Amino acid sequence: MKSRSLTFRNGKIAWGLLSPMLLILFIVGVLPFIYVLYLGFCQWNVFAQVSKIKWVWGANYRRLVFDSDFLSALGRGIKFTLWTVSIEMVLGFLLAQLFMKPFRGKNFFRAIYSLPLTVAPIAIGATWRLMTIPGFGIIPYLFSKLGFDYNIAYKANQAFFSTVALDVWHWTPFVTLTLLAGLTALPKEPFEQAQIDGASNWQMLWYITLPLLYPVLTTTLFIRIMDALRIVDEVWMLTGGGPGTATRYVGIHIWREVFPKTDYGYGAAMSTLVLYFTIVLSWLLFTIITYREERKE
Amino acid sequence: MSKKVGIVWFTILAVLFSASFLVSPVSAQQTSWWAKAAEPYKGIVITGISESTPPSKYMQEVLAPAFEKETGIKVKFETTSWDEMYDKEIKDMEAGTGVYDFVYIEQDIVYAYLARNFLVNLSSFMKENPNLVYPDLDLGDFTSFINYYKDSKGDLFGLPFESFLKLYVYRKDLFNDPKIKAEFKAKYGWNLRPAKTFKEYEQIAEFFTDYGKRNNIPLWGTTVQAGAHPAAFYEMVETIWPSWGIYNWGINLQNYHATSANGGKLDSARAKEAFRWWVNLLKYAPPESRASTWDEVAATMAAGRAAQGWVYGENIAWIATDSTRSKVVGKIGVELPPLYPGVLQEAKEGKGYIGYYDGGALGIPHSSKKKEAAFLFMQWVTRKDFQGDFAAKAARIVRKSTFSDPKVKALDPKVDHYFTKMQKYGDLFAGAPPFPFHATIREVMLPYILKGIAGEMTPEEALDKAAIAVDAELKNEGYIK
Amino acid sequence: MKWFLKIGWVYLILILVSIIFLFPIYWTFAISAKTRIELFSEPRLLQTTFYKENYIRPLGNPTYRGYLWNSFLISTGNTILVIFVALLSSYALSRFEFSGKNSIFFWTITNRMAPPAAFLLPLYLLYTRIIRIDGWKLFDTRIGLILVYCVFNLPFTIWLLKGIVDSVPKEIDESAMVDGASLFRVIFSIVLPLAAPGVAVSAMLCWIFAWNEYLFASCLTSANARTITTGLAEFVTVVGTNWGEMAAVAIVAMLPSLLLLGLVQRYIITGLTFGAIKE
Repeated sequence: MKSRSLTFRNGKIAWGLLSPMLLILFIVGVLPFIYVLYLGFCQWNVFAQVSKIKWVWGANYRRLVFDSDFLSALGRGIKFTLWTVSIEMVLGFLLAQLFMKPFRGKNFFRAIYSLPLTVAPIAIGATWRLMTIPGFGIIPYLFSKLGFDYNIAYKANQAFFSTVALDVWHWTPFVTLTLLAGLTALPKEPFEQAQIDGASNWQMLWYITLPLLYPVLTTTLFIRIMDALRIVDEVWMLTGGGPGTATRYVGIHIWREVFPKTDYGYGAAMSTLVLYFTIVLSWLLFTIITYREERKE
Repeated sequence: MSKKVGIVWFTILAVLFSASFLVSPVSAQQTSWWAKAAEPYKGIVITGISESTPPSKYMQEVLAPAFEKETGIKVKFETTSWDEMYDKEIKDMEAGTGVYDFVYIEQDIVYAYLARNFLVNLSSFMKENPNLVYPDLDLGDFTSFINYYKDSKGDLFGLPFESFLKLYVYRKDLFNDPKIKAEFKAKYGWNLRPAKTFKEYEQIAEFFTDYGKRNNIPLWGTTVQAGAHPAAFYEMVETIWPSWGIYNWGINLQNYHATSANGGKLDSARAKEAFRWWVNLLKYAPPESRASTWDEVAATMAAGRAAQGWVYGENIAWIATDSTRSKVVGKIGVELPPLYPGVLQEAKEGKGYIGYYDGGALGIPHSSKKKEAAFLFMQWVTRKDFQGDFAAKAARIVRKSTFSDPKVKALDPKVDHYFTKMQKYGDLFAGAPPFPFHATIREVMLPYILKGIAGEMTPEEALDKAAIAVDAELKNEGYIK
Repeated sequence: MKWFLKIGWVYLILILVSIIFLFPIYWTFAISAKTRIELFSEPRLLQTTFYKENYIRPLGNPTYRGYLWNSFLISTGNTILVIFVALLSSYALSRFEFSGKNSIFFWTITNRMAPPAAFLLPLYLLYTRIIRIDGWKLFDTRIGLILVYCVFNLPFTIWLLKGIVDSVPKEIDESAMVDGASLFRVIFSIVLPLAAPGVAVSAMLCWIFAWNEYLFASCLTSANARTITTGLAEFVTVVGTNWGEMAAVAIVAMLPSLLLLGLVQRYIITGLTFGAIKE
């Protein structure tokens, strides 16, 4: 393919460039997904009386719609996602803006802010668990000195907000870094022009920064939503889904269904349903944002 | 490829070199049997999976290399967490992929494996391969624990390598303190001693919690394994309910129903009373109890924060003897748990049991392609002369002969004669009920137990709903017609 | 006062936030320095003792060193693969017009959306039964994990890079091609340097994700390709979690990520200004 005949309308070259990605994702992404889709229509529990796979059409999905345990887990997962993602996006953006300012010691602080990302989630869960365990943990101890009874094994609200705090602690740096990368790559002219025109900081933010940052913002938002909906390890280590079932989010619920309960068919149906739900949600957001973007042009 | 092999060889040699200092010298007679029997399988690599607990690590780091030195069969030993181990074993056996040649079979999952015919029938295997049977295997030397690895016909499917009881543990030093004894007698009217009834247990718990508060020390009256984790479920079904006379999770063994309307006992008055009694104990337990699995319960006891409680045998040893981990070395007493009237008699007659006999064995999946080599390894780790070290390190005994091992005898008084009691009362304890649906029904019951603990439902309501849910799931899985 | 209003408040916020971010990390270190008795005693804020056994035992164990090495190979391999593939893909998505473009966007990211639990079974079957040559299977290999992690890392990296490549003006490519540069030359010698901050950040995040990933690593490996995070899980046993050693290994496992972070910082700093490109 000689460069002279290269045009950006040549779809063939584009597909050629995309082919490695398509191949890899097909093998390790799509194939398993098809299998899960298929399993969702089957009944298969390794330790049931009849343990062979059996095609049962939509029986699993029908059961799911009435499965109050699943629905409440889903509801809790959504509540968790709403809280964590909103806090993370706002905090992350503010921090990224902060890092755009000139000041000394930027590297140092930026390194510190990225630390939560470097620790393995399972270790994060373990540390937070030890920090917050009533009786032995440092946080209940400090709180008790202030006269406040902090016991996440007992108080559902505290447990919920502790999981939110853990997630915010863990992932705000991610949001900060990606938004920062986006911000540093922004062209300077629009800002310079706007300053010459006498625009205020707020106006520059709303009319220039945000629109230019849309791609990165939406990427980050989607990724965070997806990951928050799927969270398992850290919450499991911190609260075990408790007290009772107060922090048993849908990711944990599915995991317990598939693994210890070895109910592969039902678990697959659950996963597919949650995936579908996530796709719909993302598509909605995607449409709203691209609609606004198109309107700007 | 050769570079990888080279690295592997180097590592094995390095480990062997160090291991050679640890393995006790073996008599020449026994050496040649292993080498001879393994002759046709020399150079094979077998893969096995187990939990990452000290005995398994001991097998992985010491026994496996020694085995290789003796026979030339390489053992790749994967140790992983409890959850993961199950999942991987089950996947391998279900899919028949032959990844593992031997697997760890915890006592409570063996029935599920038997129902699915995952494991090789060792009895017939031994009949077909007499030359592979170690002359001193001596199956009769194993404790009654081995019976839990037999099917209804009496055929064997696993060789145990660890087992222990969950017992009632109390602070001997506190119970023997004259001042405390006097206070207790004045308040309750009987001499302080390990509890035999639930009322006594509760009074002791109340007393010590109050004592701790009055004297401003971090001491409470009892442990409760009530964390949001299967451990809470297990404390109820393994320990509390049997001692109240509710066996087999309250599920009727004939028709597999849990609701009392259909012959089960899960929502019976006695079961509810037991559950409420246990949840009530939380007010006498330290704050971490609501976040405690067996891990934290042991830590609570070892930190001296509880005057009494129920603790697994494998933890009793280090709590009583290891000063790098325990603050109450030498202060631990061990007894049979408090029981409902009549339960002890039922247990003696074989109609019930008073507590949990826990442990694990190694077995061979059907899908393995190296069964012979795996079987040799299994016999290697269950050798009589290795058991003393196992017992001394981790308080686990599977062979009757180990009770008379000098190391065990020396350790016994330090753990308040846990081993003697195990030998004497082991028959009164039982493993998990013969349920192929062990894991699935646990997952169904667990949320209700947790809700009962958390107060989202009353204990009575929780059990009512649990029984209904269990019946529904068993119907769904085809066990109830 | 003027200093405070101008820039001092920035430092105040920074320090407060730093403390919040650092505390759990400090606590992980504190746990690694405690003996088991200390762990379950009265909590103290300041860690004054250091129990070095927690570090010596696992790190002296060749198995754990092997885990570290595996993790390193897998993370690095995956990052290189992902960056390479993602650059090609994001360039295609950014510069070319063709039908199906928008749906590709979406399609790549749906792979990442689903709860992973159910996907482990088909992947296990795929790796043990379907992809085999003569007795070699993809299960328990480093390549297997490198491929699986693409499912998570590729979509994110492509999206991020597309946004960044979008902001590199097309004219640069066109002028380079007019000068005779081939497509690959354009991508790797011209666009890549300009997109360096984004590439650096996504490379780092990819690497760290692969390094810290647990679920797929534990499911799809056995004794050979085990990673350090699965090694961490091994400390959680039924005889008690050895929190101290686990924390020690976690701290050690943090170090490569930290190192990478330090190296990548430079690229984020020298965030190139695009004004300079206009000739």
